[in-house]
Amino acid sequence: MSKSIKSFAATLALLALVVIALACPKKPPMKVAPPADTSANVPPIPATVTTATAQTVPPETDFVSPKTDTVAVETLPNDIGELNRVAQSRGYIQDAFFEYNDSTLTSDAQTALTSSATWLKKNAQYNLLIEGHCDERGTEQYNLALGDRRANQAKEYLVTLGVDAGRIRTVSYGEERPFDPGHDEAAWAKNRRDHLVLVGK
Amino acid sequence: MRRTTFLLSLLLFRALPLAAQTQITTTIKPELALQIARIAVPRPETTLPLEAINTPFFAPLTRDLAYSGVFAIAPIPPNVPAGADLAKAANAQFVLALKIEQQGDDFIVDARLLDSTGVMQFGQRYRGAAGALSKIAHVIANDLVRTVNGKPGIFQSHIGFASNRTGNFEIWLMDWDGANQRQITRHNALSILPSWSADNERMVYTSFARGTSDMYIISRRGGARIRVPTGLNLNTSATFSPVSNDIAFVGSVAGNPDIYLVKDDGTNLRRLTHESSIESTPEWSPNGRQISFTSGRSGSPQIYTMDADGSNVQRISFEGEWNDDATWSSDGSQIAYTSRVNGRFQIRIADLASRQSRILAGEGSNEQPTWSPDGKWIAFQSNRSGRWQIYRMRVEGTDLLQLTFDGENKDPDWSKKGD
Repeated sequence: MSKSIKSFAATLALLALVVIALACPKKPPMKVAPPADTSANVPPIPATVTTATAQTVPPETDFVSPKTDTVAVETLPNDIGELNRVAQSRGYIQDAFFEYNDSTLTSDAQTALTSSATWLKKNAQYNLLIEGHCDERGTEQYNLALGDRRANQAKEYLVTLGVDAGRIRTVSYGEERPFDPGHDEAAWAKNRRDHLVLVGK
Repeated sequence: MRRTTFLLSLLLFRALPLAAQTQITTTIKPELALQIARIAVPRPETTLPLEAINTPFFAPLTRDLAYSGVFAIAPIPPNVPAGADLAKAANAQFVLALKIEQQGDDFIVDARLLDSTGVMQFGQRYRGAAGALSKIAHVIANDLVRTVNGKPGIFQSHIGFASNRTGNFEIWLMDWDGANQRQITRHNALSILPSWSADNERMVYTSFARGTSDMYIISRRGGARIRVPTGLNLNTSATFSPVSNDIAFVGSVAGNPDIYLVKDDGTNLRRLTHESSIESTPEWSPNGRQISFTSGRSGSPQIYTMDADGSNVQRISFEGEWNDDATWSSDGSQIAYTSRVNGRFQIRIADLASRQSRILAGEGSNEQPTWSPDGKWIAFQSNRSGRWQIYRMRVEGTDLLQLTFDGENKDPDWSKKGD
């Protein structure tokens, strides 16, 4: 829930930038001083976003127009670890989650990957590593194979969405690296995932 | 009397590392071997302080004999005078007479197995540095077992495993009794699932040292590790053929994990399974003619066998909605595997001929069984303590012993030879 609010917030922040950029194409940028852009690097998340406001934005809106490319790129950190943290928190790339002992992409997983594909296509300077992970309830050896299948399902989907297959590498960690060390369904649900990691070229 | 002299002349000086020769001087009748022999093992005759020899030598030797299934240690009554008939006093069929002396840095151990009439059935001298004392103990135990029942012992077998006690999971090694745990790999990266070669010299395993999962081979005695390039993804669950230089493993192309063979130099890649389902966890039968594996083709992970060319696939497991980690007993008649029962994983042992199976139930989850070379023991991993540790038990489920304590420890693989 908080994740989707965050991504909506990021969407809204970017939309604000788009609207401003489109509205004032001929004015010198220094005179514009849009309120959402004061912190220069990180578009602040409006604290007053309400679900009602968020619902007025159709989730399917392709908010990233070519003209906003430069806006997005300028805000990305050079450090690859920091870049991944920012890209995840802003929803540029999103992990895909799975059902138990299943590698089928759910509609939520497809949505996450669609967003990721959109961003990846516009940021061709990065490659992608997809880590396939499983929850602890299976066995180690079978889960390594299951994680491989999960990672490749996501890769295939991203490729059908137009991401160059040569940019994507997969690795399975099976149940070796859980994100949540807990032993309940809440933890397991987080651990059954494809984790998307940006890597330099 | 003549026989005694003859046997005495067989007393050898045996330096470590040991040559292949083993003196078999058994005069035991085969029918006696069916029974467990009571053996009295008095303290070694020595001028050395007891603590110098007890922990490294005497304790492991008596433990080996007690667990051998061949001998039972006969308690020696107190106040038995020196020179008395020990066999009679302890009601034992055998007495093991041990002498230890030190020559420079080396210890020399003289071991003689005497029957109840005082006739020597076995005699040998062993030589090694202080660090080799426990190895000498295991060699003596093996020699005594072979003397009495004609079969090799398992006391020089090793268990390979993965441990994270130094940070990342790396490949480790221990003696069969859990002693001498030592780190074999230093990838500083996730390294798991070791599997022994038939000659006990090499292990093949998976490491993520390059950020992908790759297959590596390393020698037990050290030296460079070798990456085996397969051109495929995964490269997990690798296992040496017992009869050739083939390695069976799980390879993946475009997210379809299947069982493959590759030679240990990375050549001659062959695909054995062709289903669209997940296939994993291959394991050779002891004669190298069959391979067991796990497949999700029925909708859940189940155990199958096939011939080593991929033909003649048969489903083995029918109970439980998740089965994995199949491994063959040394005579090929049974398969042990991990089987989920009432939501927890347990070790299941299935007889291949009768298709009957039984569960060795324990607390927590119990996974990745591996047989001792003589088929009498199973090592496995359990999280019953809250962390993964390696345990050992008899195939009957008795004599449970925890072997690891530091960090988390998993993926046990028992060497195929014990002597």
